[in-house]
This record gives sequence, structure tokens and C-alpha cells, in this order.
Amino acid sequence: MIRIINLNKSFNGKLVLENISVTFESGKTNLIIGRSGSGKTVLLKSIVGLHEIESGEIWYEDKLFNKLDFAGKKVIRSEMGMLFQGSALFDSLTVEQNVRFPLDMFTDNTLEEKIERVNFCLNRVDIINANQLYPSELSGGMKKRVAIARAIALNPKYLFCDEPNSGLDPITAILIDALIKELTEEYSMTTIVNTHDMNSVMEIGEKIIFISEGVKCWEGNKNEILNSNCGTLNDFVFANSLAKKLRISNQEP
Amino acid sequence: MIKFLTQFGRYFLLLKKVFSKPEKPVIYYKQTMREFVYLGLSSIGIIAIISFFMGAVITLQTAYNTENPIYPKYLIGLGCRDSIILEFSSTVAALILAGKIGSNIASEIGTMRVTEQIDALEIMGVNSASYLILPKIIATLFFNPVLTIIGIIVGIFGGWIAGTLSGVISSENFIYGIQYAFIPYYITYSLIKTVFFAFIITSVSAFQGYYVDGGSLEVGRASTKAVVYSSVLILLFNVILTQILLS
Repeated sequence: MIRIINLNKSFNGKLVLENISVTFESGKTNLIIGRSGSGKTVLLKSIVGLHEIESGEIWYEDKLFNKLDFAGKKVIRSEMGMLFQGSALFDSLTVEQNVRFPLDMFTDNTLEEKIERVNFCLNRVDIINANQLYPSELSGGMKKRVAIARAIALNPKYLFCDEPNSGLDPITAILIDALIKELTEEYSMTTIVNTHDMNSVMEIGEKIIFISEGVKCWEGNKNEILNSNCGTLNDFVFANSLAKKLRISNQEP
Repeated sequence: MIKFLTQFGRYFLLLKKVFSKPEKPVIYYKQTMREFVYLGLSSIGIIAIISFFMGAVITLQTAYNTENPIYPKYLIGLGCRDSIILEFSSTVAALILAGKIGSNIASEIGTMRVTEQIDALEIMGVNSASYLILPKIIATLFFNPVLTIIGIIVGIFGGWIAGTLSGVISSENFIYGIQYAFIPYYITYSLIKTVFFAFIITSVSAFQGYYVDGGSLEVGRASTKAVVYSSVLILLFNVILTQILLS
């Protein structure tokens, strides 16, 4: 479980996150949604410690993460996996070396054990016979899946995904969403996904928070989101014409 | 002034991170070997070519400027040797390496920054500054002196080839000249300068790349800044070190 209490973050004096409080539960896919520039990525990067926050508390179980020193944070980070928007695979390493990297860094396993784990993770995300390819030789969807394989290589307790569907076609996007949900349930991880894709929201949104201009405006789940009274959320959810038509047809007797 | 001091402070804070204890020495060893190849071995060609032609030009210019019969011919070889050892093999080679490996380091690390690869390392709990920069510093500190020695040998050879083929000096006179009044300390002086310059090139370029903020345009700018700042610092430290080491 990850608990955020009154988180504030600013850049050059400009407040970009204001008094965010939320609890992300383990074994669930938690979504942070909002328009581009609303502060989703800043919130996610603050939670994982890539951004220093001005005030507030970030709790990982019973540990106050934002007050820990480098060594303390390192212990918690060894339990984190993260999928970045652009996958962030290491260009100079092959697929196998990318997934093996955290194992090389933080385990004393033999090479055979590490390769066995790499193959298990790659199979889990349906990447077959691509061990020796470089990231530049992979499609966008494959890169995301390899990045997920790398993120789960060390059996993390916490999985963070920053816009996992950006740049993917709708079918691949659904596959990635399904994979994230399956892995979350399989390993009882606390998963936090940043997205502005409504398909993802309706597919995997077990807990959702909506952020607008750095402020948390709404909290609920995928069943509640269509009937919300929050105006800014409704503008976001029913932004496209298909969603608007569906809403109108639902409201008709 | 405040901006300069801020950057200065960030540079030393980065160095503190770079020189902290490695997570897993065996991984750093492998990275260092990789950097020996990318930053060291791959620079031998350009250093050899430039040194050869530098040596040739120095010999010819010295010959055409010392045509007075009271000057012994072997002075051409001596001039070539000392010019190459004292300045060209260390300072000029460092300026060329600032262009070649400095821009390479800044763009490589800068690209890793803008594509979130550095963030990925940090999330894993890896000290990204140390993992990315320390192997490069170690590789250049050890390999650039080798490049300097190669530059000296090839430069003097270039001088000998140009001098004898053009007929401005005989082979015997040239070889006598390069052996005449040889001061071994000059080699030490040159190697000490090379070590300082290697550190400047690698650390300044890595600093520029590590703190890139933005996209590909900023990576390009960081690369240019890396070359410019490294070159200026090399010239500045050349004066300081020369005063300290030769006075």
C-alpha cells in the first residue's frame, strides 16, 4: 500500500501539485487520470522519488519514503518496477541484457539462473525469440512489453506505469492493459498507472483519481466514473463525440 | 555570477556522486573495459593521423624558418621533437579529443537523460552518475596517456618522413636532432597535462549531458557546450600547469 498525505510540489515557485492525499491499495490497479499537463507525471515521479517534494508525506507501508536517506530509499526502490512513457530501454543493451540488468545489479544469482529468470519474464509478456535484438529493432508495443519484463524481473511489490498506452494502436493498448492487470493480481503488487486513455480507465480502473491543474478533483472506480457530478471530470470523460453520443443515448428513456 | 556559482556547485556535487562507492564493482569493471574501446581504442586513428601531419608540418616550417647557415641542421629534428612532446601531443591532442569524445559523452548521456534511461537507473536504485560517468573517467585517465605516447611517436615519425622526403634534412641529422639534449622530464610533463586534460574533457562533458533538460535540441546544445567549455578549460589549465611544472 502507498499512502500520500498533503503532497505539494512546485517548479520555480509555481505550484503544480496542491494538497494531494490518496491511498493506493495493493493487489489493485490504481489509475491517475487527467488531461495532458495536469500534473500526473509529476505526481508519479514524486511518488517514486525522482522529484523532491515541497511538503507532504509519501508512505510505503510503514516507511516514510520522502524522509529516508539514499540507502533507505534504495531498499524500497529494489521493490519498485517502472514502465516509462518511452519505455526507457537501454539502447546499447540487447533485450536479454536489458531484462537481466536489475538481476546483474542486485542479485548474486548465477548466469544460468539469471537467464532462466529473463526468459520467464519475457515469456510472461509474450516476447519470444527476441533475446538478442536491440531496442531499435523492436516495435513500440514490443518495447513496452520488454520494459514490463524488466520492471518485473526482481518481483517488485510496487509497479508504476507512466502512460503505458501512448503511441500504441487500440488492440496493442488493450493487450498491455490486460497484462498490467494480470501481473498486478498475480503478484499482489500495488500498481499505479498514469493515463489519459479512457479505454484503459474502463478496462482496468479499479481505483481512479482524477487530477486537474494539480488538484485532485475526484476519486472512485470505473463503475462510478460515468455517473460522476464532477464537471471537469465529465468534460474529460465525455470529450470525444462517441462518448458524448453514448452518454446521450444512456440518458434517453 | 550566481548562475556560474550554481553550475560550479552542481558540478562538484555531481563529482561527489560519481566518486561514491560502486554498487557492484564487477559491473563497473565491464563498463570500464567497454569505455576503453569506445573512448580510447577508437581514438587511436584520429590521433595518429593528426600527429603524423602535425609532425610533418612542424618539420617543414622549422626547416624553412631556420635556413640561416649558422643554425645546425639537426635543430630541425630537435624543434620537431620538443614541439610535439611539449604541446602537440598533449594540448592539441586534448583539444581534438574534446571534440571527439567530449561531444560523444555529452550526447550519449544527454540522450539517456531525455529518453528517461537515467530515471530508469535511479528507480532501480542504481547511482546513475557513478554508473555512467566513473567508467568513462577511469578509461580516459588511463588511456589518454597512451594516446599521447602514440602521438609523440607518430608525430616524430611524420616529421622524419616529411623532412627526408622533401630533402630539407638528412635522416642522420634528424635522428641526431631528436636525440640531442633530450630532457626526459618533458615526457612526464606532457603525461601529467594529459591526465588533467582527460579529467576535464570527461567530467565537463558528462556534466553537460547529465543535466540536459528538454529534448534533442538541448542534447545538441549540451554537446556543443561540452566541447567549448572543455576546450577553454584545457587552454586555461595548460597555462597553469606549464607555470607549475616548468617554472
